[in-house]
Amino acid sequence: MKNNMFLKALSLFVVASFILTACGAPATEAPAATEAPEATEAPAMTEAPAATEAPAAEDVEIRWRTRPDNQEEIDVYSQISTDLDSELDGITLTYEPGGSEGANYQDQLKAEIAAGTAPDVFWIPGTDVADFATRGLILNASDLAAGSDFNVDDFYAGPMFHLTYNPETGASGADSGALWGIPRDVSTFALYLNMDLINEAGAPDPRELAANGEWTWDAFLDVAQKTRALGSDVYGYGASAWWGPYGVWLNASGGGFFTEDRAACALNTEESLSGLDFQRSLYQDFDVATPYGEDPEPTFRAGKVAMFQNGRWATPGVRTVDFEWDVVELPAGPSGTAGNWLFWGAYVINANTEHPEEAWALAQALTTAQTQGKISALGANIPSRVSQEALDAFLTFTPPANNQAFLNGIAAGANPTAEGPLWAGSWPEYDKIMGPAIQGVLTGATSVEDFGATICDEANKVFNQ
Amino acid sequence: MTAYSQVDPKTNLVLRIHFFWRILFAILAAAGAVYIWVGGMETALWQKILISVALAMASIFSAIGAVQISRRNHSGRMISLVLDYLAFVVCFVLMLNTGEIFIGIDALAETFPKGIPYLGITVVGYFLSIMDEYLPQKKQTSENSLKVVGRWVMLAGFAIFLLQVDAINGIIYFLGKLVQPMGIASVIGAVIFGISIWSMMRDNVSQALHAKTDHEQVINGWLFLSPNLLGFLIFFAGPLILSFYFSFTDSDAFNTPNWIGFENYAKILNVRFAWLSTPDQFAREVVDIKVYDEVGRFLIGDGGILFAAADKFFWLALRNTLVFVLFAVPLSVIPALVLSNVLNSKLPGMKFYRAIYFMPSIAAVVGISLVWQWLYNATVGYINYFITVGIEFWNNLFNLAVVDPKIQWVSDEKTALLSIIIIAAWQTMGFNTVLFLAGLQNIPGELYEAATVDGAGAWDKFWSITLPMLAPTTFYVVSTTTIQAMQVFEQVFILMNPAEGPNNSTITLVLYLYRSGFQNFQQGYASAIAWVLFIVIFGITLVQFQRQRQSSIYES
Repeated sequence: MKNNMFLKALSLFVVASFILTACGAPATEAPAATEAPEATEAPAMTEAPAATEAPAAEDVEIRWRTRPDNQEEIDVYSQISTDLDSELDGITLTYEPGGSEGANYQDQLKAEIAAGTAPDVFWIPGTDVADFATRGLILNASDLAAGSDFNVDDFYAGPMFHLTYNPETGASGADSGALWGIPRDVSTFALYLNMDLINEAGAPDPRELAANGEWTWDAFLDVAQKTRALGSDVYGYGASAWWGPYGVWLNASGGGFFTEDRAACALNTEESLSGLDFQRSLYQDFDVATPYGEDPEPTFRAGKVAMFQNGRWATPGVRTVDFEWDVVELPAGPSGTAGNWLFWGAYVINANTEHPEEAWALAQALTTAQTQGKISALGANIPSRVSQEALDAFLTFTPPANNQAFLNGIAAGANPTAEGPLWAGSWPEYDKIMGPAIQGVLTGATSVEDFGATICDEANKVFNQ
Repeated sequence: MTAYSQVDPKTNLVLRIHFFWRILFAILAAAGAVYIWVGGMETALWQKILISVALAMASIFSAIGAVQISRRNHSGRMISLVLDYLAFVVCFVLMLNTGEIFIGIDALAETFPKGIPYLGITVVGYFLSIMDEYLPQKKQTSENSLKVVGRWVMLAGFAIFLLQVDAINGIIYFLGKLVQPMGIASVIGAVIFGISIWSMMRDNVSQALHAKTDHEQVINGWLFLSPNLLGFLIFFAGPLILSFYFSFTDSDAFNTPNWIGFENYAKILNVRFAWLSTPDQFAREVVDIKVYDEVGRFLIGDGGILFAAADKFFWLALRNTLVFVLFAVPLSVIPALVLSNVLNSKLPGMKFYRAIYFMPSIAAVVGISLVWQWLYNATVGYINYFITVGIEFWNNLFNLAVVDPKIQWVSDEKTALLSIIIIAAWQTMGFNTVLFLAGLQNIPGELYEAATVDGAGAWDKFWSITLPMLAPTTFYVVSTTTIQAMQVFEQVFILMNPAEGPNNSTITLVLYLYRSGFQNFQQGYASAIAWVLFIVIFGITLVQFQRQRQSSIYES
């Protein structure tokens, strides 16, 4: 009987210990920082961050989250969190890397917002800002910004147009009375080049063509065809299946997804259809591209794609390949520009945060030139501040040698289209209508004419009537 | 009140306290129910209704309980125990929540591994303490010593384990968090309700309220059942009812939902059929394109019929789901049946093969899907690589000119759904095989012996004995596989990019439900889709049940 009692007590002890151990969160150590990546001139981070100190009695605890692409980024963000923790008086920070395989970053975030457990400050992509703002999920920080040294003009105009858009008045800008967040970084597309394949095919060097102003759709097609001729398993061009890659061809021909006021579908305009038709020909007529819908990155990294269209975020992965590579800007289309995007995402403040002032202080601290420099050093993105100093620093983060290609893509002269939300409708729904329909065209299941004749009938339904 | 004089004064006093406690409980619960509505609480309507109904019921039952206790009826004791037990659970959960136990569970995963090695010391201690059972009787002293030593070793192991996993900090943190009004109130509540339960369970009170053995058995039965029952009510039945309510609202999961009646269901079921004068006539010419989108067209001669719907994605998802079920179910059941017959033989190595075939069923779906994503890659995937190598081999061997199809498994709308079907069939087949194996082992061997004597061949035995005798297993396998197939989601979500596949060829009902609820901010509409899906699955299962009854060898 005694033994029985002893075992019962022990069992209870085990369960209680598990439960109480679960409470031990504040005492856990922060993840150790790793060394800075070799290929960049990132600020050295040799010291491991100290264990997170227990918050002082008067300290405010602020949780923040961003979507990292890899462990290196998680380490850098953790280090930044530790640094800011000691810099910001009265604030104790907890960094939460978001997203994992099978758990989409935005979906998980929305579920947490609904449950009231979302962090105080979090990152969202530019396309989501309207949905979050109009549903009251993120804080309008214009009053907070008014009392600080925040300047709208310090950041790229495209993102700030959307981040200062006031849905009630339709106004945008510093005096609009709206500020939904601060851009974390920007990015744009370039073509990652496999120079070994291009040289082997005897094709002209796209970088030289670009430097001479001869980098057009025809020149692009010429390089793609010559490299494709190297073998049945070698492709001239590869791009992923989402709105970014196919959008540039529409933009470059003078078309686009929406009308000028972003209040109606413009996929059926002559310019848009012309751009789409050119892209279709790459897949169907000239057969120079990796099959649409297949991830081209493994094929490129295997040395089988000559020109791989992707953003700056692909650079860390490409740095591991064992062939000669570089980047070049996208070719200019009939409109005279490459039709590139200015991608961006922003740090926003949870509308239900109990500490809006501290959250604003953190959002500002996360977007200083110094913090952005540390993150950009990894090679995955470009600082969102318009500053020559930041751009000069970005050029040093090599390889690729031709970093200028990315800056050319976002230069004002290139007239990039800023990624943005749909204030007059639902972007997720628009995307879900547009994406499969365009995939139908690019895989040859639907003709461009049929697409043009029907797409806006359906897509216009997502706009507020 | 006179009845109290039949028991001893102490019990009498306890019963009086219980009587007043029940009255107080009833008043407090009623006050709470009123406060929900007049106290300016900012909460959703459904939450207000739910909480106030629960409190009102608690108030009414507590009042009834008070009356029954005063009459010394046993029902008063039962009511008291149930109410106090539920209130105790609520207070206990609130206490854990205030102490941040639930959000600290993640931390357990981080700190627990540090202590695991020290649990080994506890295991050693346990073996020491039971070693006396294996020692000869004469070594009595050694026995006692080993037991004592074993216990101390176990305790030491646990002490080190707790230190390693930061349990002390955990206790301090937990207690610190409890020092706030909600924490203190929940602790006091848990103590009061706990004392009330303990008091009501004591023999003198039980006897005073005419408790019998049957009553004790009932109480113990419900007590054992309660963890599961509460879990079922809170995590299954509750959400089920809530989702039904949400299906009649425009809920976006964030703001207060508005009641919109059958609008969501009406949108799902709003379809139109229209005659087409030419095969390529535009939908906008025959239906109101501001409301309807084309789902498909059936061509007949020079014209045809257009099928349009207010929500075309739902109908595309339903079509894809039904096609998936139509192929995935037979492909994961028929091979499993054949395989189980092969694996049921007594050949050497069969256990190994059973394990091999079962492995895909226990592997994580996400991992499997990612592996298949690589296999299916049209340019560098292994499947196409082997097809290319095979074709080259045969072309060279026989001087043929067979063209390499270079199948775009997941990026071509003709093969995308097939790719998902192959994965699902491959993954489910092993599990179904094990179920069939269990069914086969229940068939009496005498039947086969008799058939052999009668000169039946292997096929005759399979057709006339195995298949009919396996009917219940087959029914179970087909039903569960069908239900599972109707809910296909993970493979599509992970494998396809975008998940809807080329031209919406892999959008399924659960995927569309997920997209509506978690990506398009339409929780109300997603709930309506879920209930329509439930009705479809229920209908199919009902048909299967009826078919089973008609054809079952056991029924006849």
